[in-house]
Amino acid sequence: MSRPPKADGRLTDALTIALPKGALYHDAATRLRAAGIDVPEHVGRKLTVTTADGTTLLFLRPSDVPAYVEFGSADCGIVGKDTLWETDRNVAELADLGFGFCRLVVAGRRIDRYHEGAPLPTFLRCATKFTRSAETWFAERDLPVELIELHGSVELAPLVGLADLIVDLVATGTTLREHDLVVVEEIAESTARFVVNPVRFRAKYDAITALLDRLTAVPA
Amino acid sequence: MRAVFGRWAYEEVQTPIIERFDVIERGLGEETSDLLFQFNDRRSTSLALRPEMTTPVARLVSTRMREAPLPLRLAYIAPVFRYYEQPQEGRMRELTQAGVELIGAAGVDADAETLFMAIEALDEIGLRDACFDVNDARVVDGILDGVGLDGDAAREAKELIKQRNLVALRKFDRPALVQFAQRRGHHGAIGIARNVCRTPESLAALDALDVLLERAAALGYGARVTVDFALLRDLDYYTGFLFEGYVGELGFPLCGGGRYDSLLPRFGFDVPAVGWTAGVERLLIALERRGKHLRRRAHRVDVLVAGSDVVAARERAAGNVVRYAGSDLGDEALLDEARAHGIPRVVIAIDGTVRELRVGPRVGELPVPRTPSNWDAR
Repeated sequence: MSRPPKADGRLTDALTIALPKGALYHDAATRLRAAGIDVPEHVGRKLTVTTADGTTLLFLRPSDVPAYVEFGSADCGIVGKDTLWETDRNVAELADLGFGFCRLVVAGRRIDRYHEGAPLPTFLRCATKFTRSAETWFAERDLPVELIELHGSVELAPLVGLADLIVDLVATGTTLREHDLVVVEEIAESTARFVVNPVRFRAKYDAITALLDRLTAVPA
Repeated sequence: MRAVFGRWAYEEVQTPIIERFDVIERGLGEETSDLLFQFNDRRSTSLALRPEMTTPVARLVSTRMREAPLPLRLAYIAPVFRYYEQPQEGRMRELTQAGVELIGAAGVDADAETLFMAIEALDEIGLRDACFDVNDARVVDGILDGVGLDGDAAREAKELIKQRNLVALRKFDRPALVQFAQRRGHHGAIGIARNVCRTPESLAALDALDVLLERAAALGYGARVTVDFALLRDLDYYTGFLFEGYVGELGFPLCGGGRYDSLLPRFGFDVPAVGWTAGVERLLIALERRGKHLRRRAHRVDVLVAGSDVVAARERAAGNVVRYAGSDLGDEALLDEARAHGIPRVVIAIDGTVRELRVGPRVGELPVPRTPSNWDAR
């Protein structure tokens, strides 16, 4: 029962859902399929798809999901808690979907022994993709720090002397071990969240709460 | 919107754009100061551009309108200023607020008056499908008490309810809290809240919401007014009734307000008050998205006059809207100007003669000569 938009551009009850490409996609798609939404297994190069029941899916970089939801370009979306920390967008977090578990940690080289309480250098440098979370963590400890924002392979930074510490996401810990890095402290744990635009929650209340119920139903 | 304010017998007030910082802080609390354009004058008095109108109006009423008979019905359409790091759609650094304050009136009658006025105002500009969610700030306190939270835990839970962060609320291990933050509805939702609330304040608030819904339904607004217990507005001066209006396609509310009985006492004037405000630019965004634009006020110009102050004054005295043209323009240029602005008549009074040109669709319309005595006879 596909409902086309009304002539004056006002919205129908059909939902627009923002989905993260990459690591979370497979689990997010599986969960949405279990909730009755026809999400394709592979996205390819597509940016958006409208399913047979009128649901519009947007395939986005994970860090873009909160912005699409905050501005109402998507009604709701699935995104990692780590991304919510970093973007600090005004979205309502309705459900912890449980998958996509990872930890945001401060890590250093094993030989520096920071994890065993060795004193940190006075002029501390930290490399990270997660500048907001890192800034908060160091500020809470009153540690002056120079943050270096990197966009990939953060674990290289301490090995070549670019940084003393890194703040990064760890799922299994394999990457850290391979580079002889160890966790100094865990900042937080992250899982995938179902988020919604605060006003759209009201405007499409029935559709969103129905989807919320199906997403959070205990699998039979 | 001015027309709606007028029909409800609200009078427009103006306040200074620059306020003393301590006035704004007294109204809005300390946490709003990062929202301010703040500066000092030469004597180091801390000043700020007003970030909203309710506090300045409260200041005005408590200092200069104390003797006025209550209740006061005041309205404003005024620019306000907010320091946003990143201005974005619906969140501009300078914005226009249109709103009202009903001061010196307590109870559901006054709450209903402001809500219905807001609905009429959005209807008036063409947003007839705008919906309004209502709540009462006292209900959440009753719920928190009912589930056995107090102190810091209650404060934290309240903030999470406002954000509708169900994930974090589940950690309190009180299912009623999550249900409360999730459920919207009508009399049924109020009934469920009544099962949790114990405090007399919160039960009175639930009764008032019931009455409000009935009165809205009687006006035909039943489907447009919904109770949302998680609706808690940012400013910390709200003490009771709360509402927000929105349309489905925008991700932010268009208008909102509520009861702020504790605000005027902060300025030494112990009277209750309720009010709301709409973001004019947000309303324009909503209309623009629908391809509608506000009808321009019918400011029809009746006549284009060239060359004579006296003729122009006579035309104005006769009740016509007069556009004054330069005396150096020729007939063709005057006709072009009249056509461009949809003006039906052109009167040229140069060298002692007064001629009237009729503005037709074609260039070269025949002039219709008239004498000054004709004009006197009007």
